Amino acid sequence: MMRERRVLSPYTKSVLHYIALTIVSVIWLIPVYAMIINGFKSNLEVASSPVLVPPSHPTLSPYMAVAHVLETPIINSLIVAVIASLLSTILGSMGAYFFYVLSNSYFRGSGMLSNFLFSLIALGTFIPYEATLIPLTRFIVDINLLNSYPGLIVSMLIFYIPTAALLMSLFVTVVPKSLIEAARLDGAGDVKIFFKVILPLVIPGFISTLIFIIIESWNNFFLPLVLTTTPSMRLVPVAVEAYTGGYGTLYNETFAVATLASLIPLIIFIFLGRYFIRGLVALGGAGKGV
Amino acid sequence: MVEISAKSVYKIFSKKKGEVYALKDINLTIESGEKFGILGPSGAGKTTFMRIIAGLEAPTKGELLFDEKVVARNGKVIVGPESRNIGMVFQNWSLYPNMTAFDNIAFPLTNMKISKSEMRQKVEEVAKVLEISSVLEHYPRELSGGQQQRVALARAIVKSPSVLLLDEPFSNLDARIRDSARALVRDIAEKLRLTVIVVSHDPADIFSISNRVGVIFQGELVQVGKPEEIYNSPKSFHVARLIGEINELKGKVIEEDGKNILSIGNLAIPISGGYRGEVKVGIRPENLRLEEEPREEGWVEAGKVRVKITTYEGGHFKVTLTPLGDDQEIIVFMDKIPKEEEMKLFVRPSKIMFFKY
Amino acid sequence: MKKTSFLLILPTAIFGAILLYIVFYNVAISFTNWSLLHPIPSFSGISSYANVIHSFYFPTSLIHSLELSGSAVIFGNILGIGIAGLLYFLSSNKARTFFLSIIILPLAISMAVNALIWLWLYNYNLGVNWLFLRLGLPYVPWLTSTSMMMPSIIIIAIWAYTGLPALFYLASFLGIDKSIIEAARLDGASSFKILRKILIPNSANGFIVSTALLFLFTFRIFSIPYILSGGPTNIFMQTLVVFSYYLFTTEFFAQASALSTIIILIATAIVIPYALYGIKRWIKK
Ligand SMILES: Nc1ncnc2c1ncn2[C@@H]1O[C@H](COP(=O)(O)OP(=O)(O)OP(=O)(O)O)[C@@H](O)[C@H]1O
Ligand SMILES: [Mg+2]
Repeated sequence: MMRERRVLSPYTKSVLHYIALTIVSVIWLIPVYAMIINGFKSNLEVASSPVLVPPSHPTLSPYMAVAHVLETPIINSLIVAVIASLLSTILGSMGAYFFYVLSNSYFRGSGMLSNFLFSLIALGTFIPYEATLIPLTRFIVDINLLNSYPGLIVSMLIFYIPTAALLMSLFVTVVPKSLIEAARLDGAGDVKIFFKVILPLVIPGFISTLIFIIIESWNNFFLPLVLTTTPSMRLVPVAVEAYTGGYGTLYNETFAVATLASLIPLIIFIFLGRYFIRGLVALGGAGKGV
Repeated sequence: MVEISAKSVYKIFSKKKGEVYALKDINLTIESGEKFGILGPSGAGKTTFMRIIAGLEAPTKGELLFDEKVVARNGKVIVGPESRNIGMVFQNWSLYPNMTAFDNIAFPLTNMKISKSEMRQKVEEVAKVLEISSVLEHYPRELSGGQQQRVALARAIVKSPSVLLLDEPFSNLDARIRDSARALVRDIAEKLRLTVIVVSHDPADIFSISNRVGVIFQGELVQVGKPEEIYNSPKSFHVARLIGEINELKGKVIEEDGKNILSIGNLAIPISGGYRGEVKVGIRPENLRLEEEPREEGWVEAGKVRVKITTYEGGHFKVTLTPLGDDQEIIVFMDKIPKEEEMKLFVRPSKIMFFKY
Repeated sequence: MKKTSFLLILPTAIFGAILLYIVFYNVAISFTNWSLLHPIPSFSGISSYANVIHSFYFPTSLIHSLELSGSAVIFGNILGIGIAGLLYFLSSNKARTFFLSIIILPLAISMAVNALIWLWLYNYNLGVNWLFLRLGLPYVPWLTSTSMMMPSIIIIAIWAYTGLPALFYLASFLGIDKSIIEAARLDGASSFKILRKILIPNSANGFIVSTALLFLFTFRIFSIPYILSGGPTNIFMQTLVVFSYYLFTTEFFAQASALSTIIILIATAIVIPYALYGIKRWIKK
């Protein structure tokens, strides 16, 4: 006997399921929607138009007005983010492979060394940057790199090499141990094994880490805020801050700036989101099988 | 080529639930040019021993010497794996998936000071011997199991290693091509006059390749000798069973008319030798027959037995029977199904093995 | 392991050493009296700590930080489980990836930009209140009432970071043997019951990861309060990290360092157990 129960038909259920997800998604997209549409409003329109209403006569003029302001910061950000993330990912990957070797070797103290180094890279990944402010600026000043690309890059490496080492140490574990042993018996040293065997086999993880760090470094606000003082050295997030301007100003330019500043991470997210997500997943400690 | 000796080698793994003695007091010398087989059940410590020889692990205690030179001692690897000039074929081949067969084979050579053309020549040479010349540009995933094994073998021997290590080298192959693979390894080893150490739980691997065998049980080396010795006079019942099917029987040796008779239930088998009283014996199925009359020299009638069940296995009928008035089971192989319930059992007394109780 | 193997860790070790140097340098400064009034620092024990802790701003900014991170952990976990549950029961993998990407999207946008956008969404007349009016809801005095300032920040943080718990809970759910779910279905269990009785109880890992990451990421949010209030001075939006920046800009260097040390200690108390027991066990296997 079937139990009599009032149940929704599978079709109704599935419709309700999609409606629920659509509502959540719409709410989630409101800020992004606002960011994109409002940059197309004219100066005349913004004075009275609510932020959630699309422009009645779309215009590109706000973008034109702010493009030149963001030009230098975008170039600066590109230089810093690309170099810092490439360097971090390569150097951090080497560190990650070292952890892998270390976790399979049993000399006295290897366990403690490994735990110490691992705690250190985790701290570098998650530490609130703001809490390093004074010694970090002192350090960058001492090595004479304030207001320079190298200064910004070095400061990012302090946090992003650990991040890369942390993420890559999860991706590296997909390489079977016996492959490394085979290479060792073939007479290769660890440095060669890293470049010839490990790196080619962890390319997907490498890309995930790289993408994750590009987005992180592109979006970092605090480090460029304190390590640059001249306008010509500003990075995008800091340049954006100048557009808060209080409620007196016209918001169309604010949103045009926001859109331009987010363009690169958004494009990366749309085309390479898969890799970004895998980077996030590795941050949670579950690099395997993703 | 190199002579390898282990001097009271121990390997102890510390785990959460206490310590595991993977190797206990191993003393062994493998001579230069020898083909040495290590036989043991799963978990006996075979792989561990091989990894210590390769330098991938350090012995917890004891020393390992290559030609009188200490390469590892008391928990320390003194000469690392990259400097021991060892060729190894891993159980799962461990080919580099990002390299073609050619690059896989050439990889050990790239770590030596050798010109590109010499490298190519060497790779092509071994590829020819192993008949894989036509697949050199393929990636491992594009190769059959047998071809992968040959590439792994080629990679192991291309640098003319002083010793070739094989860990369960055939267990990943189809039964169909296993025999030809064994023959290939034996011929190559012969041709290149390599020192070979082969590890397996399958005696067929060991007997087809090696000319001396060590048997390892729970980390202990229990017997070392020529394959025939291990086969014919195993030190213990465990060793005997490792090599092949064997009947383990309890019986009594009594004296009758000045002769020693082994009695198992109603069975009575005349034997020589000075055994007396309660004994444990091992008799391989091929030394037992169910027949009407003995055909050959050396067989004697033991008495009547009762057939319990007949199954078919590996091209034979496998007959389980018991002596009358005893419930110990005995296994015999036959080419045809036994017709009657009770039959006469013949045995070759000279092949009976006696073990300590 | 050969000596040259250590070359691999060299870059990580050098920058790790710089990090340690910075952390300990910070501790060293915190034991001085370095400030605008004392440009030449001298040792003064724990007086900076005492001054910071007894300052008017410390308890409020500590509470704000804990409010922010605590709410993000609580609501992030609840929303994350809900969204992961909705995603889990989708039959189409494509749809699942699509919706998940939308929830994760905010993570790709910089917090500084988020601050700009929300600044206007919180505008009393032109922002989301306009929509609320249409929906028959009351106006909310987002950034105009002091009691709504922290909740406004918390909403941004939840919006920005809920993608993380959604992702990790979904991963945990998907890792549970499908046949168990099918068995429960045959026993007549509803999706909601399966979520409550099977999926959630088997997602301890998702919980640990989500909680740790939500806490750590929200604990260091700086640009949202900084930009929304136009600087580090608005005490109603001041979190610990903003307060420490404020101490820096007003040149109370030793006190800023003392506060930084406290911040680092709080973060470390979560990071190290998380790293060694949450993440590292994946590597050993
Ligand atoms: N890295 C390790 N850590 C802890 N214990 C180990 C390790 N390697 C091997 N052992 C233990 O040592 C013992 C011997 O293992 P080993 O791999 O040498 O066996 P084996 O003879 O090769 O077995 P098989 O035929 O199954 O391959 C086993 O009990 C195993 O659990
Ligand atoms: Mg083994």
